Amino acid sequence: MIEVKHLTKSFEQKNGEPLLAVNDLSFTADKGEIVVLLGVNGAGKTTTMRMLSTVLKPSNGTATVEGYDIIGEPQKVRANLGFLSGDTGLYNRLTTRELITFFGKLYDVDDETIKKRIQEMADFLDMNDFLDKKIDLLSTGMKQKVSIVRSIIHDPPVMIFDEPTAGLDILTARNIVSFIHKCKDDGKCVLFSTHIMREAEKIADRIIMIHEGKLLAEGTWEDFRMQTNLQDLDDIFVNFVNQTKEREQNYEFQENPDDL
Amino acid sequence: MNFKKILTIYRKELLDLFRDRRTVISSFVLPIVLYPLLMIVFSSLVSRQEAKLENQQQVAYLIDEIHNENSERIIRELKTTKNLQLVAADSISIPEKLLKENTIQAIITLRDSVGKSGYPTVLSKIYYNKADEKSSFADKKIFKQLQKIKDILVQERLQELKIDEELLKTIDIGEENVAPPEKMMGFALGKFLPYLLIILTIGGAGVIASDLVAGEKERGTLETILVSAARRNELVIGKYLTIITISLITVILNLFSMYLSFHYIMSQANIQFSDFRLPLANFALIFFLMIPLVTFFSAIFLSISTYSRNIKEAQSYQMPVLFGGIMLSMVSFLPAFELNFGFALIPVVNFSLLMRDIMLGDFQILYLAEVVVSMIILDIIAIFVSIKLFNNESVLFRTAEDKSLKFWGKNKKNVFSQQFVIMFFVFVLLILFYVGGSWQNINLMKGLVKTEILIILLPTIAVLKISKSDVKRVLRIHYTSPLNFLLVLLMALPVFVLAVLSMQVINLIYPIPESYIEAINKLVQSENIGIWKNILIVAVLPGICEEVMFRGYIINGFGKLGFWKAIIITAFLFGLLHLDPFRMIPVTFLGIWLGYLLLKTNSIFVPIFAHILNNSIAIASGKIIDKIPILNNFVSDGNFPFWTGIPAIVLLVIFLHIFNKINQSNEGVV
Repeated sequence: MIEVKHLTKSFEQKNGEPLLAVNDLSFTADKGEIVVLLGVNGAGKTTTMRMLSTVLKPSNGTATVEGYDIIGEPQKVRANLGFLSGDTGLYNRLTTRELITFFGKLYDVDDETIKKRIQEMADFLDMNDFLDKKIDLLSTGMKQKVSIVRSIIHDPPVMIFDEPTAGLDILTARNIVSFIHKCKDDGKCVLFSTHIMREAEKIADRIIMIHEGKLLAEGTWEDFRMQTNLQDLDDIFVNFVNQTKEREQNYEFQENPDDL
Repeated sequence: MNFKKILTIYRKELLDLFRDRRTVISSFVLPIVLYPLLMIVFSSLVSRQEAKLENQQQVAYLIDEIHNENSERIIRELKTTKNLQLVAADSISIPEKLLKENTIQAIITLRDSVGKSGYPTVLSKIYYNKADEKSSFADKKIFKQLQKIKDILVQERLQELKIDEELLKTIDIGEENVAPPEKMMGFALGKFLPYLLIILTIGGAGVIASDLVAGEKERGTLETILVSAARRNELVIGKYLTIITISLITVILNLFSMYLSFHYIMSQANIQFSDFRLPLANFALIFFLMIPLVTFFSAIFLSISTYSRNIKEAQSYQMPVLFGGIMLSMVSFLPAFELNFGFALIPVVNFSLLMRDIMLGDFQILYLAEVVVSMIILDIIAIFVSIKLFNNESVLFRTAEDKSLKFWGKNKKNVFSQQFVIMFFVFVLLILFYVGGSWQNINLMKGLVKTEILIILLPTIAVLKISKSDVKRVLRIHYTSPLNFLLVLLMALPVFVLAVLSMQVINLIYPIPESYIEAINKLVQSENIGIWKNILIVAVLPGICEEVMFRGYIINGFGKLGFWKAIIITAFLFGLLHLDPFRMIPVTFLGIWLGYLLLKTNSIFVPIFAHILNNSIAIASGKIIDKIPILNNFVSDGNFPFWTGIPAIVLLVIFLHIFNKINQSNEGVV
């Protein structure tokens, strides 16, 4: 499971001012559950996921993955985590099998298990035709399948998907969705990010809306519909954004009444 | 660290690279194919060209001013020269023009003369055009032929007088070279082999390194590998080993190919190769030595590659390293440079000189050990830098920066950015080099005054004024306790003693040429202008101007880096500005001291005071030591005995302790 506690990340901008990409974010994701991080581009989804995968270090706060702290034990965190995004590149000069074997070895999976898993996944995702082809020669859909197997070769309890369907056609996207459901059925904890409301609706057990690095709302679609009395997903999202804006303006007004 | 994982990464990188056409071509195919091809084409071209010249008809104009039996005989003999067409001419003016136009290849003149003993002598002169290969060739041919005719005529004359020819052989001079063939080869190879090897190494490592990290960034695979269970240092080491392996293979292939091509050329030129055996044992030693050099450059290029956003950027950052390496490696061509303790510490230079010595067969084990040890230390530092960079997310995920050159923007922050400060420094440095130097050559003292005020002080003030900065706050024109000045005064002597001692230590490693010391002494003790004027120009003026520029302005550009980094970087630039490799280190130390005083007291007056004191003591010591007999016992040849360092350190520690107590509250950097 994933526990995010007051996670904050600030970057320095060109003009020297700090930018809070993720601002005091807290949430949890349990095993056997699909949690969707929903937000527009630049909301802080990728930054959050990069911190969870220990590629970036948080400026403040922390998170745990399967009980391991992302700052204290990044090694253990990565070993328990599968990460898949829409644009993670693959080594084009290796064949599918070589690439997956390479990553398997980095995760300390023994050779026998690697072989077995490759076969299982190749059957599941219909990859037997290109197991020994160089990745350079594969289509986008095939590459995405390779990425899927790459991310799950060590059978991690937690899977993180960072907009994995971005730029994919319907059929390939469907492969991913069915893979995510398989992860859930296998009892894994799944964190999935997207900016497409419909996708979130289809797949999510629970939704975490974030905007400008901050938590906007948390719950199921049913909860959101009840709270806002709105039906359309887009409307609901915009509604939450506006609510926060109003709250912030009121807050500023109280702070500096002279400004207005 | 897990070696199994390093090995996994290493294997994968090698597999990946061996499948990359670009790498295969530049690292393996090129050396194997290029040298033989180059050599074969070159040698066949040369021999063909020579054959062509040999078979070509050359035209020479002949001006005979004698017209007697003797001259006619010479002409007859000349006519037998192979492929030479002789044309008779009367005057030299037209043929000379033709010769210059390359229409004809030579002019031969025959003039009459009489020797001292009364025998007739023919004065013959060959005019030729050295800028034309054909003409040079004709000249050689004609010269040879004339020599032959001369020998025949001498022989005839001697016969007439019934003198045995043997009489002329008073000394038979013979020469024999005792250098063994290996050494001959070593001498020739020793000059260019280090140079070639260093360039090959640098070039080979550069291509691979740029692909390994910057290339991964470009292809978007870096994040994939970062989220895997491999540790960062395992990745760095795996990649590092890959670069080393491929560059060593490249070097070996290059050498092998060169050796064979060389062999081919030799056999083409009909030189018995067995006479010119290459010293193979020395080659083995050189390979062993190549390892620290290769590892050093691999680490540097890995750091560059990690820092760069893409391959193109990595390659452009590699250029200065490449040029620097080439320049330093050329030292093996210079005859006056011998490997010594100091040079053995300078990377590239040490290899260049050591390899030359090895090829000659006489090197000192001590220096070899020193070179290897110093390189291993540098290697370790370089690889740590790589690992550190690889762990730095802002480097790893460096995105497009603002590349515009809007330095003179309205934003006040701009003039205090690192980028701007460094640009400003380089600007001042260049002006100093091009303009200040020539001012000082015309008149040293006047030049110094002009340099300090116009090149150092004025531009600094101008930048602050144009950017509308708060000059008082930026320059730290603040009041400070008079006690600070007293303490600086008390510390001045121990600091000076330590400075001189450090200079002496540096002197031991890199001896300073006598001529240089004389020039410096002249600067410090110009007798004719009097000590007070001297202090004003050499101490007070630089004290103020240089402190305003460095401790006043430049240090602010590095304030964000923290207390010590700001001081040290500023001091390093301060050392650079003196444009003097021998004073670089002591001046940098002085800069650190002055920066420390500034940031501790938060008042520019303290470093100005200390700077003036330092320069004044330097002037005074030159004048006073000779005049006070007691001091003369301590100081011989301007050198302090090393034990003086101990009381100096003790005094300095005591005073510094008090100084730090007084200035506890100030450690602020803007």
